[in-house]
Amino acid sequence: MVYLSKVTAFIRKEFLIQSSYWMAFIFSWLGILISAATFYFISKLLNSENMISVKAYGAGYFPYVLIGIAFSGYFSTAMHTFSGNIRSEQITGTLEAMLVTPTRLSTIIISLSLWDFIFTSINAVIYLFFGAVFFKVDFTQMNIIASLLILTLTVISLSGIGIISASFIIVFKKGDPVSWLVTISSGFFSGVFFPVEVLPKYLRVFSYFLPLTYSLKGLRHAILQGYSIGMLLPEIAVLFAFCIILTPLSIKIFGYALRCAKISGSLTHY
Amino acid sequence: MDYAIETSGLSKEFITPRIIYRAIAHPFTKQKTILAVNNITISIRKGELFCLVGPNGSGKTTFLKILSCLILPTRGNAVVFGYDILKKEDKVKAAIGLIIGDERSFYWRLTLRQNLSFFAALYNLNPLQSKKIIKELSCLLEIEDMLERSFQECSTGIKQRLAIARGLLGDPQILFMDEPVKSLDALLRRELNIFIKDKLIKERGKTVILITHNLKEAEQLADRIAIMQKGEILACGTLAELRAKINNPIGSLEEAYSKIIVD
Ligand SMILES: Nc1ncnc2c1ncn2[C@@H]1O[C@H](COP(=O)(O)OP(=O)(O)OP(=O)(O)O)[C@@H](O)[C@H]1O
Ligand SMILES: [Mg+2]
Repeated sequence: MVYLSKVTAFIRKEFLIQSSYWMAFIFSWLGILISAATFYFISKLLNSENMISVKAYGAGYFPYVLIGIAFSGYFSTAMHTFSGNIRSEQITGTLEAMLVTPTRLSTIIISLSLWDFIFTSINAVIYLFFGAVFFKVDFTQMNIIASLLILTLTVISLSGIGIISASFIIVFKKGDPVSWLVTISSGFFSGVFFPVEVLPKYLRVFSYFLPLTYSLKGLRHAILQGYSIGMLLPEIAVLFAFCIILTPLSIKIFGYALRCAKISGSLTHY
Repeated sequence: MDYAIETSGLSKEFITPRIIYRAIAHPFTKQKTILAVNNITISIRKGELFCLVGPNGSGKTTFLKILSCLILPTRGNAVVFGYDILKKEDKVKAAIGLIIGDERSFYWRLTLRQNLSFFAALYNLNPLQSKKIIKELSCLLEIEDMLERSFQECSTGIKQRLAIARGLLGDPQILFMDEPVKSLDALLRRELNIFIKDKLIKERGKTVILITHNLKEAEQLADRIAIMQKGEILACGTLAELRAKINNPIGSLEEAYSKIIVD
């Protein structure tokens, strides 16, 4: 109960702050429309009859890439929200004020990121909405339960990486190698813009180690073709494995970082 | 449990540059150890107003941060309101309020009320309790007309009063105040000092540890005063005891301070 009201307070606070910058909302949604339109016209140049690996998802290139960009937002959010929020609260000095209340740092970090995930979800829905309304993408097959399950596993496994990255920020303040490495590689290797099958074999190896690869594959099947949970079992199993490995690992690393910062007295430094 | 705070051999050494950095960024700089808090053993009674004075860098803030579980001590331990700071962090935090004279640490785009309600939730208050205490505290600190204004529009004095209000939200038994009235005008300073003494200590039986550079204020307010230098408590006691220490039964705290620090 107490936990829930804390979480709500964080979301409320973030909503109040963000909505005071309302121009930013309008521009970000305009940006979504423009990026969707860009890919729509690019897809017109492409003859999807030849794209065997795209056709595996039962539709043309545009629906394929629309889902890629709509849901890769979760990835960049997970990479940046934990470390970014901690850093900005350190700079304003509000982190120290939170830390002397009976609220754990882990609660603070997770609650701070929730607004970003909510906003990312709104954006993802807007991508799909624009896709359906303006560009006639067919979502009637969508299996909502399977999509939500994959999405949940995606958020949990990616958050593990995000929390590890926040641990680096707590100790080193700036420049964490984790999110840098994962961010530069994921856009390319995870099949956001093109299927990983078109990569040469030796490059394709990297994509197997990135959770986003499995998320996007599963989401496309579930959203465009209505695959059931049973049919998506391979993707779900891999994502689940990522969660099982990354969640405890991130908690461990985070605890270690917290201890380091408390010893050096730099918990609230930046 | 007669004591609000008991410390035994509390010490903190800061190592700079930190080991991880040294290996990468400063391989040739010599490592330096700063003894910020040195073997402090004191007991502070419940309901006491305890003042901590000392030159810049004498370790006053570090001492309070250790007691607030923000910094881990290198040696020694402390018990705050009956709870071990190393083992019962949550309990300690529920018993304390930390007020720092740094007035930046709020959300600038939110109103004063929104700021306070956010922190009230972190102190486990439900919306009803939070509304009630915000009303009470804003009356007390005379900011009730400002509550709907955004934080960025407020003067430094108002911001500092808001920081004091925040420290009191959780109705803490022990208050740590690190130069809380630094930018308040003389009149308000006096009112606030009276508030600490009469409302917090006498009426509600709270314990206050106050760091200040204003020796006159410390002299008037404190039940006991500790003079710190280089992490050590050089002298600690009532004004009369400090006077006895310098063999001047009518001397001011300022006199005692300068004699003890020089020696
Ligand atoms: N995180 C830290 N890392 C390294 N050294 C530190 C750290 N925090 C404080 N110090 C050092 O510890 C000593 C005590 O600092 P502290 O801030 O506790 O002093 P203070 O008595 O509060 O001073 P002031 O009156 O100026 O506020 C100083 O020499 C300071 O430079
Ligand atoms: Mg200080």
